[in-house]
Amino acid sequence: MSVLKDIGAIAKGMSITFGEMFQPTVVENYPDGPGPFKGAKFQERFRGLHVLQRDENGLEKCVACFLCAAACPSNCIYIEAAENTEEHRISGAERYAKVYNIDYNRCIFCGYCVEACPTDAITHGHGFELAAFNASNLVYRKEQLLMPTPAPQLQR
Amino acid sequence: MVENTQLVSLTVDGKKISAPAGTLLIDACKASGIEIPSFCYYPGLSLQAACRMCVVRIDKMPKLQTACTVPVAEGMVVTSESDEVRQARKATIEILLGNHPLDCPVCDAGGECELQDMTFTYGAAESRFMEAKAHKEEQQWSPVVFFDRPRCILCYRCVRVCGEVMDVWALGVQNRGVNSVIAPNMGDHLECEECGQCIDICPVGALTSGAYRYKTRPWEMNHVGTVCTHCGDGCKTTLGVRRADNGMEIVRGDNRDKSGINGDFLCIKGRYAFDFQQHPDRLKQPLVRKDGKLKPATWDEAFDTIAKRFNAIREQHGGAGFGVIGSTRTTNEENYLLQKFARSVLGTNNIDHHRTADYPAFAAALAGKPEMAASLRDFEKTPAILLIGNDPTHQHPMLATAIRNNVRLHGAKLFIVNHEGLKLRRQSKAYAHIPKDGYGKFIAFLGGDDAVASALANGHTNREQLMAMREMLRGEHQLVIVFGAEVRGKDLETLVKLGMSHTGVKFACLGDYANSRGAADMGLYPDLLPGFTPLADAGDFAAEYGASLPKSAGMDLEKMVDAAKAGKLPAMFVVGANPMARYNVQLGELKNCFLVVQDMFLTETAAMADVVLPAANAYEKSGTMTNTYGDLQIVRPAGDFAGAKPDLELIVRIADRMGVAPQSLVPFGRGTRADMGQSRGAQSGEADRHAIWMVAQGIEPKVSPFDPQALLDEIQRLVPGYGFSRLNLFAGNDVPTHTAGKGKGAHQDPELIWPANDTLFTSGTLGRYSNTLNSVVEAHEGKRYPTQVETD
Repeated sequence: MSVLKDIGAIAKGMSITFGEMFQPTVVENYPDGPGPFKGAKFQERFRGLHVLQRDENGLEKCVACFLCAAACPSNCIYIEAAENTEEHRISGAERYAKVYNIDYNRCIFCGYCVEACPTDAITHGHGFELAAFNASNLVYRKEQLLMPTPAPQLQR
Repeated sequence: MVENTQLVSLTVDGKKISAPAGTLLIDACKASGIEIPSFCYYPGLSLQAACRMCVVRIDKMPKLQTACTVPVAEGMVVTSESDEVRQARKATIEILLGNHPLDCPVCDAGGECELQDMTFTYGAAESRFMEAKAHKEEQQWSPVVFFDRPRCILCYRCVRVCGEVMDVWALGVQNRGVNSVIAPNMGDHLECEECGQCIDICPVGALTSGAYRYKTRPWEMNHVGTVCTHCGDGCKTTLGVRRADNGMEIVRGDNRDKSGINGDFLCIKGRYAFDFQQHPDRLKQPLVRKDGKLKPATWDEAFDTIAKRFNAIREQHGGAGFGVIGSTRTTNEENYLLQKFARSVLGTNNIDHHRTADYPAFAAALAGKPEMAASLRDFEKTPAILLIGNDPTHQHPMLATAIRNNVRLHGAKLFIVNHEGLKLRRQSKAYAHIPKDGYGKFIAFLGGDDAVASALANGHTNREQLMAMREMLRGEHQLVIVFGAEVRGKDLETLVKLGMSHTGVKFACLGDYANSRGAADMGLYPDLLPGFTPLADAGDFAAEYGASLPKSAGMDLEKMVDAAKAGKLPAMFVVGANPMARYNVQLGELKNCFLVVQDMFLTETAAMADVVLPAANAYEKSGTMTNTYGDLQIVRPAGDFAGAKPDLELIVRIADRMGVAPQSLVPFGRGTRADMGQSRGAQSGEADRHAIWMVAQGIEPKVSPFDPQALLDEIQRLVPGYGFSRLNLFAGNDVPTHTAGKGKGAHQDPELIWPANDTLFTSGTLGRYSNTLNSVVEAHEGKRYPTQVETD
């Protein structure tokens, strides 16, 4: 009798196992999923790789005020400012960031820079694949951080 | 400020304070640690009472009063902070912000803006105005002055500083009431001295600097207080520096902290002309001539080449084979080291520099009475000034400003003798326009020789006026006599002797470059040792140097260049000077002369050199400099340029390669190695105090052969007149030196003195490589200022 009992118990357990096997998957299909994040899904508030935003005219929002650099506790933002001219207009205001580097060796993703930004130019995107074989590759330049033009629909 | 020792006591916020009668309430409060905010009030300028920020409640007065216009009175009871006062100030800010754009993130003043600070203090952050702000495009008034009209809060500081302090009156107010606007003198642009005082004094970002514009933010820079490297006034300048790819870049110059002899004053050169430091033409590596062409080389190769040739020439020709030319822009320590190197290593007295004033004659005339040399500070308060020759407005802008302020604020009497119509004439009590060759005669006339009066009189100034001027001068006590290079040799001697017969007279001699005086004091003369010591009295120096110094006087600059052209000078060592341009020597004219040049740029002289070593400028090294009045100040490294080395290091390295022990040149390693003090626990500050004390006493260890302080010790020990207070010097103050000769100075050939003739917008070689100065010269070209200047 005890043998039958044991078989019953195994059958009961396996029924859950085999039952779950045919349920839809709960984990994300990373890295084989679609989209730039390869199937990884994030909460809206997730603080990932920074994105430098553009305004509705496609100009850079950043005016090189250095407030993000001043707010940064790990001192990872480096900026060089330059003046916009009629022929060479980069941002909406008088000046723009000629150089804008974020050193991801040092960044702690605290979000202070985003909070400090008076023009909402710097935001946290959801990029998270920040690994490199060489530390110097972790200094991201403006071209890597900037939202491509024309601005695409926001990815969720 | 009123000169009055009578004290008045009053009560501010329940605190009893006292101040001299006549003091303004705002100043009295500040002196007692009570800060009253203001925009339009600025110490030293006339009162405006335009901004209404400094309102306070004074008992028994019906309304709020402006503290900037009310003098203190006995028994006055003042409330500087109350709900009522705060409310009034908040309302003022709200109205100011009514049309002030909120573009702080792009505004250059953001972070050091007085309006920003006040808004944070009084919190008028939310506006109740519905109306759109009236936007006006930004205007460029000159290469260095930009005006953003909506940001202007109409405090009129710029108008007043331009008119009252600078006596330029290039800014004014157009229209009235709400339509008031600051306007430049030429309608759409400025024609002025471009001093940038208006930009500096602007409490907001309405006036911004073309040189600093949009480059960085105030908190991003490090600030270094050092001495300006342009004219002989030795203004203190605070340089804002920022990291660049090739070292440290200087991005801003100002003196907002009012430290130093110049207060907050700087002229265009001090404020903007630091950009030669990052000029693309700067030399980045040594150049050595191979196959007739200068080619980049390693330091080793360059030093080896120099040492080999110098040693060979020394063996073959002795000291007579060398000519050494020093600089008027290097530090005292470098000049001292250069003459020590020339005299004790090369064994020659053939050493000279570009002379711009007759300092040896001046020192000789002052022999035994060093206290009669005036400091730049004496011009701030002295009741009477006699200016003979020179044009301080152009050549000594700080002196001109000090004189103007003294006349304006203290009613000093200014007497001018010149062969040209100076701008300072507007401040003068009496002005004698004499012929160009009449300075000697005028000095004779001052001495009582009436016969020359008719020779001096001309269409501008007649005999009676001259007589009246002399009469007035004779009645003056505490007169400061300041003269330019026009007065030299015998005339100078006569003048000083004449002044000595009066009590309270002081003298100042005007030389042109940043360390012209230092070069003279440090003995860059063929016939004088440091401190204007005659060659015959070389005892102390010979004992210290451990070598017998050459006895006979060497060749002066002109003779050296002639000898080099004639093929009679086998080697020449030029440090930071450009003599070949001055003497118009063409490429290839030097015969059999091994020429070594240390410079920042490939100047005319460097271009014909056999070895060129890239040198650092005065903004990139430490040391001391002496201004033309004898005030000694400390120089601190601000900028940094990869590839260049300070002249001091270069000279030591050359000597080292020649087989000379560096200790014999720079007495390093001789300091006292004392216990560094308690460095733990409650008394940890002791270590700092200990270190400071040791620096002040000159006994801290000097561990590097490139340490200028080691040389400063030696200078202080050996050079007569350089017994200054080290504590004061290292605290960043100016300390007077008193180099008075020991009697007869060497007789200098007056033809060897060539004034630099720099204007406000030129500065020798440095000016040639300053883009800012060049752009200003271009904007002013042919309008007012000649640009023919000497090349050093």
